[in-house]
Amino acid sequence: MTDYIFYIFLDMAVEYFAGTIPDCIHSMRRHDTKKPETASYERLVFRNASDYHYMKISLIFEGGNIRLNAAHFKQLIISSLRELYGEIGAALPFDVLKFEENTLSAVLRVYSSALVRLWSALTLLGCYQGQPCGIRVVQVTPFLLALSGNSRELKLD
Amino acid sequence: MVRFKSRYLLCEVCFADPRSRQCLEERAVFSGVRDAIARAHGDYGAACCAVSFTVKYLNAYTGILLLRCRKEHYRLLWSALPFIIHLESRGQRQPCRISSIHVGGTIRTCQRFLIRYNRQQLLRMLPGCQSEEERASVHRAVLSCSLKQLEEEGSSRDEDSD
Repeated sequence: MTDYIFYIFLDMAVEYFAGTIPDCIHSMRRHDTKKPETASYERLVFRNASDYHYMKISLIFEGGNIRLNAAHFKQLIISSLRELYGEIGAALPFDVLKFEENTLSAVLRVYSSALVRLWSALTLLGCYQGQPCGIRVVQVTPFLLALSGNSRELKLD
Repeated sequence: MVRFKSRYLLCEVCFADPRSRQCLEERAVFSGVRDAIARAHGDYGAACCAVSFTVKYLNAYTGILLLRCRKEHYRLLWSALPFIIHLESRGQRQPCRISSIHVGGTIRTCQRFLIRYNRQQLLRMLPGCQSEEERASVHRAVLSCSLKQLEEEGSSRDEDSD
């Protein structure tokens, strides 16, 4: 919003110094005074980048070899949500898009309005079946394409 | 000005067994509602509502209940009320239902609404009257419902309006 207002003021300042102030102050177009025909542009600002947010996370155990499958993993996250946000929080709609059993890493999808709740519940996840564990959040992005590349793991030869 | 704003929820408690309404206690309602919030909204909800949550008024005869909570979190309290299925009092579980009838910013607005509501309820009772005495007493009760008397009585104890 502040960017938008800045551009409006910039337009008005330019036209003031050029000597021509448009009658309609609330115009969204900028008139180019040099060319005979008016070149106009329109600036659209989107506040919400995307409906969903995608998180790449990995589950880390202190020690021991613990096997999980995707259903247990989702149940673990739901139990953490239930502890922190109650029954209504446990009903938060999120999806486990990918789960790798070997590395215990997963890709989650959640609505943008629910991102803060899910992330806080992941942070406060304590233990699974008595074993202390934690979740490391590797990447959070509103666009799925961004998960394909990670500048931390980039190898430049 | 910075000050704590609160919301007052006027609710009605309906019991399955009408006689158990007499044993309604403030402490029982307080702990029942607090546990319901903890179940429905978890640790976050319990902490949010625990700060300024009290039972301001409880009428055992009519089952009217007035709860207070902070303005930012009144929706958490409001949405947890339908999940209450019983209230514990003196070691007994009484199945009941709490429905909210009004949300106000001050006790005074809730009081005004309650007077109008009570008048409507009394008028609804009128067709069911058996004898002339009952009818006359209901008439008198309806006519005596007014805020002026209460304002004269309670002008010293009223809270500031929001």
